[in-house]
Amino acid sequence: MATEGSAVHAIEVTVNGVPHSVAVPARRLLVHFIRETLGLRGTHIGCDTGNCGACSVICDGQLIKSCMMLAVQADGCEVETIESLGDGPDGLDPIQEAFKEHHGLQCGYCTPGIVLNAKTLLAENPHPSEAEIRRALKGNICRCTGYVNIVASIEAAAAGAGSVTP
Amino acid sequence: MLLAATEYVRPASLEEALAALAGTAGARVLAGGQTLINVLKHRAAAVELLVDISRLEELRFIEVASDGSARIGAATTYLELERSAPLRAVAPTIGEVAAGTVDRQVRARGTIGGNACFADPASNYPPLLFALEASMEIAGPAGTRSVPAGEFFLGLYRTAVGAGELLRSITLPPLDGAGVGYRSLQLAADSWSIARAVAWVRCAAGEPRTIEAARVVLGCVAGAPVRASATEALLSGGAASEEAVSAAASLASEGLEPPSDVHASGSYRREMAAVMAKRALLDAIGGAA
Repeated sequence: MATEGSAVHAIEVTVNGVPHSVAVPARRLLVHFIRETLGLRGTHIGCDTGNCGACSVICDGQLIKSCMMLAVQADGCEVETIESLGDGPDGLDPIQEAFKEHHGLQCGYCTPGIVLNAKTLLAENPHPSEAEIRRALKGNICRCTGYVNIVASIEAAAAGAGSVTP
Repeated sequence: MLLAATEYVRPASLEEALAALAGTAGARVLAGGQTLINVLKHRAAAVELLVDISRLEELRFIEVASDGSARIGAATTYLELERSAPLRAVAPTIGEVAAGTVDRQVRARGTIGGNACFADPASNYPPLLFALEASMEIAGPAGTRSVPAGEFFLGLYRTAVGAGELLRSITLPPLDGAGVGYRSLQLAADSWSIARAVAWVRCAAGEPRTIEAARVVLGCVAGAPVRASATEALLSGGAASEEAVSAAASLASEGLEPPSDVHASGSYRREMAAVMAKRALLDAIGGAA
């Protein structure tokens, strides 16, 4: 790995339930590990500076920005990406169904991070108020500015309304 | 973005962390990484070795003693501070500040020790720790030494933590009925703070209320937090009234020359620091026993 310019570190990380034993250079960001090493492209890179939240994933139960953590730091951790969702009738998670029903996305670039944000929020607080939803979304920027529908989607997911398509 | 090449070690103990810091010139402590990772992306600092202390249990704890004092491990995250009921009972402002910091992703990783050691003039904890008269425990090859928060923050990005050392814990003395106010001026909920003031007030028993002792510390107005000594002197022993607070707070930023930048001019910062001081003092008086 001479081209990387630094020694590699053996890590064991479970991603979406699949254990991986891999060697990573110290400087590799977790988001690059997820996208390039594992080929899971559902985790997006928006700003690369920790501001936009498009790269949000769940690490040991907490939402984090995967561009603000080194892959080597995920050693021993359980990481969940957007690809882990989807056991519903359309292969969608109830949260994703709710986003589909309520048009909770426009271009969709920020959506994986926002859906994982919603998943983390609803796991902690199954019936959040609109203010709590908006507060939770602070670290996820939607530049289509479709927040009204995003909030409506999360409210619907909380109410269990997103899982049934009439 | 590709980071500059660096080395990485995750020590299993504080002792190993100190050995790693001592063994490599250009070694740097990596805590939550919510600032340092961006520094590495921008190649703003050359780091030979990252010493990852984020999972060191020795640095991740919140201990609340029966006298109302609290000791917080430097690698304790904002989320842990926000959710600690025992800490909230004795030092509520610490958790409130944590809960208002950036966003949930940053709060899950960022640490109080990292915030203190980064020592940005707009960092949220430095003026608060100063006003609470926290003591900063710094571990090094020769053992652990204790530095008052007022002597810990030396200037822009500079603290009392020397080469080969790391911040181990922060001890907060008991409030014993004192009230604390924390006010920041921000243009939007997640903007950098333009001016900040923290007040700590102890009131004397009896009516009308009088101020026994007051501390006021300003943030964002200089490289390091600044104690508003003239304001404190005017308040001590005086009435705990809005008039007295207004008069004293108007002196809070007198003589300071805060920096001008895209967020605010220096003179606006100076004026707003006094306003924040007044509001923080009124909050502190309201919260004092």
